[in-house]
Amino acid sequence: MSLLNLNPQTIKQLKRFKSIKRGYWSAILLAVLLALCLIAELLVNSRALMVSYEGEWYFPTYTALNPGTAFGLDYEYETNYRELRAKFEEQDQGNWVLMPPVPYNAFENDLKVGSYPPNPPSLEDEHYLGTDSTGRDILARLVYGFRIAIAFSGLLLTFNYVAGIIIGCAMGYFGGAFDLLFQRVIEIWSNIPFLYVIMIVASVVVPSFLTLVIVMAALGWMQLTWNMRTSTYKEKSREYVSAARALGAGNVRIVGSHILPNTIAVIVTFVPFSIASGVTFLTALDYLGFGLPPPTPSWGELLSQGTNQLQAPWIVTSVVVAMVVVLLMVTYVGEAIREAFDPKQFTYYE
Amino acid sequence: MKLPEQISSREITRLVSLPLFMSVLLMGGCGQVEEAIDPEGTETSDAEVGIEVVELPPIAVAEGDGLPAELPADLEWLTNDSDPEFASPDAIQGGTFRGFMLSFPLTLRLVGPDSNGAFAGFLRHNQFGPVSFHPYTRRAIPSVATHWAFGKDGRSIYYRINPKARWSDGEPVTSDDFVFAVQFMRSKEIVAPWYNNYYTDRIRDVKAYDEYTYAVQGADSKPMDEMHYNYAFGPKPRHFHVMSNKWVEEYNWKPEPTTGPYHIGEVSKGKYIDLERTEYWWADEERFYRNRFNPKRVRVKVIRDINTAYQHFLKAELDTFGLVLPEYWHERAKGEEFENGYIRKFWLYNRLPQPSQGVFMNTNEPLLGEPEIRYGIAHALNFDKVINTILRGDYERMPTFQLGFGDYDNNTIKPRTFDLNKAAEYFERAGFRERDETGILVRDGQRLSFTVSYGQPHHTDRLVILKEEAKKAGLELELQLLDPSAAFKKQQEKKHQISWGGWNSQGLSPRYWEHFHSDNAKRTQTNNITAWADPVMDELITRFRGSSELAERIELAHRLEQMVHDSGVMVPSFQIPYTREAAWRWIRVPQHIGTPTSGSIFNSQANSAGIFSSGGLMWIDQEIKEETLEAKRNGDTFDAVTIIQNDYRT
Repeated sequence: MSLLNLNPQTIKQLKRFKSIKRGYWSAILLAVLLALCLIAELLVNSRALMVSYEGEWYFPTYTALNPGTAFGLDYEYETNYRELRAKFEEQDQGNWVLMPPVPYNAFENDLKVGSYPPNPPSLEDEHYLGTDSTGRDILARLVYGFRIAIAFSGLLLTFNYVAGIIIGCAMGYFGGAFDLLFQRVIEIWSNIPFLYVIMIVASVVVPSFLTLVIVMAALGWMQLTWNMRTSTYKEKSREYVSAARALGAGNVRIVGSHILPNTIAVIVTFVPFSIASGVTFLTALDYLGFGLPPPTPSWGELLSQGTNQLQAPWIVTSVVVAMVVVLLMVTYVGEAIREAFDPKQFTYYE
Repeated sequence: MKLPEQISSREITRLVSLPLFMSVLLMGGCGQVEEAIDPEGTETSDAEVGIEVVELPPIAVAEGDGLPAELPADLEWLTNDSDPEFASPDAIQGGTFRGFMLSFPLTLRLVGPDSNGAFAGFLRHNQFGPVSFHPYTRRAIPSVATHWAFGKDGRSIYYRINPKARWSDGEPVTSDDFVFAVQFMRSKEIVAPWYNNYYTDRIRDVKAYDEYTYAVQGADSKPMDEMHYNYAFGPKPRHFHVMSNKWVEEYNWKPEPTTGPYHIGEVSKGKYIDLERTEYWWADEERFYRNRFNPKRVRVKVIRDINTAYQHFLKAELDTFGLVLPEYWHERAKGEEFENGYIRKFWLYNRLPQPSQGVFMNTNEPLLGEPEIRYGIAHALNFDKVINTILRGDYERMPTFQLGFGDYDNNTIKPRTFDLNKAAEYFERAGFRERDETGILVRDGQRLSFTVSYGQPHHTDRLVILKEEAKKAGLELELQLLDPSAAFKKQQEKKHQISWGGWNSQGLSPRYWEHFHSDNAKRTQTNNITAWADPVMDELITRFRGSSELAERIELAHRLEQMVHDSGVMVPSFQIPYTREAAWRWIRVPQHIGTPTSGSIFNSQANSAGIFSSGGLMWIDQEIKEETLEAKRNGDTFDAVTIIQNDYRT
């Protein structure tokens, strides 16, 4: 701890956070999941981790595509490494293929003649959660869908927080006409029905990842402004602000290095809940068909498939369990952070 | 009842574009305003302020058009009393048939705003025109008219009305009702520009010679049956309509009397609409109409979700249900109701015009203008894999652009199939030899990549398979799912690269002018979404449209179809040459199940698909109904029944 040179307040908050077990473990688990997500290509992929072919080693995961001809196959398109593995095993000439634990990507259709998707979970086919209605691996779609949802959520959060903090702080700090004006702007702006806007946008252009983020940020930045405005108002009237001003500090310096650090608790407590709402929003939009264009892997699309095909319960079960677990963990983390930043250790009721 | 798959294939509706050069005639549409022309009309116009009753002007005829003043003496009167009957003499009258619709109609009018909902079919099928079409021979059969004759000018038809014909309110159907129909359809008051235009541009004159004889003159000469199809419009009851500036509002919920077997009975807004069998219907004993339209009442309930509707069906609250979708036929139509024989499954192969579905390439786009690339794409689309996997082998590959028009079909054309070698060969000829690091072919840095826009969310399954398979050929397809109207708009404005969709097909012969004539290639808002322009084809299309010789038309259609195939601008996808339905045991059908032109087996109304009089063949057997419900209560069983009728399979 001494290395990081944290102030005693922060150390206290960290200790407090650690002591709330379910929040702490959820945070660790989430961090692990996020880390794994970043290297998902090594875990869930139709490309092999490693191929040893005639004494040469190939690592296809992150490289350009290897056509079938590179491994003595008769086609020009991308090698099917699962078939290659079976072939090498059969030939037994010292060539081998090392596949990731889940040997499918999120887009390919694993269709076999005579069996009609969706197919139930099968260890033998390495579809651990089964396939969806076009024969794509559900686990693969869950993993990549999670990555997209979290990235979406993170980006949205950044936009919303930057706008929310700047405008909220300015409103609280300057007050007066500026504050009044923005209050009205925000009130009017918050009355725009968010779903209709998305529907209209989706009917005009195909919503891409970035357009969705922009539309959602344009309609979602207001949430944090109110809280930031209140906290800034409160902090502004403290003596240390007056002291800083007396010493000749400018507005930017006062807000940036004096007020903001003291409102950090407000910001940090909201982060996990914002992430959760970002994920839920994207899922809901995809479910309704206004989200990311197909065939992007997405939880909402899986959910909609699953609810339409209740005779294939593995689809809906997988995605509902995944959602519940992730959202629950995020909520636990949020709860623990709020607790840790709460200056009052105990509350007494009289 | 529409089957889910049929609805989907018609999501992109056909836009019929007709030139507006008959504006002179339209001027007559705005008549003078008078106080009242009808004693009944005065009451309403007194009571409601602002209603201005309008007298429709007489039929205006442009120069060069017009029917003779006297009925020509040398007419050869024709009829059809020789084609076989197709209803079952065993049919039992009576009972209530229960169907459903997904939403309640916004109006009971047949024309004007909001009159094109799903329920409109029930209304339209009960307005019989002068002739109909035999479901087997596809020839004209009597309907309201018993006889017809063709005029010397090659574009007029004379009809003799059956003196027995009555409106459902008991009034006789006369020649004047046909004259009124044209006045009505041309009037501004109905707020239906499409009809205004059609009845001015296509229908040039109508004349009543006596109470039961009238004639119609159309715009162009056509083969005989085509003339009926294009110009044999139905009558409108003059005694019922009081035209006014408020006609659209006034008649919104006033059901028009019908010439067909059913009329609107009880209406419970938002819940259901009853169609009551007209008692002593005038055609009850007529050849082609006896033993048909057997249920006494047809109740059409609102059920807002297809899954819920299916549950209603399993509880015997609906009598029949469509099972065209593979998922329904194979997965959902299981369980004790089926195993115990309470519900029977039917699969009827038919020979109806197939919607022209598939991939349409915009030749205005740089790469798609090159024929080699279009052929390459056709060979890179693995329709067979889609059919044999997610469609369970139930659909069939569509070989040509248009199909299902009998002799007009060109059966020598074989569709281009998925073949990586051929695809590679064509792409190579176009200069696409190298693959980039993602495996997509490139030519001078340009990737072989196209956007496929479409408007049917449930077709995503099919497209992702095509996309993944196309990658093998080095072709990238970017899927672009749009809202249906946005997808339609995009292709109408020719802003698409590749459009996935289809045109609904109807009538007696295929259509080429809308889709392939160069007139429609340059303009937007036309159905030539491939922007294909070929002077040779133009000439053949013009000849095809103008010809009244059946043999010549068939030969031209074959050549045109071959040219469409050779152009490679359209890759046909699937055809569904059948209907599949389930029905409770008490719903009975004739021995032959249906006709070659039955779009639905258990349709209660006259036309089950398109123009052919193939519906209304089933009946309800009350004794079997009681027996079945009794057995269901007691747990008794019958043999499970699945009937596959493939007599008409090509």
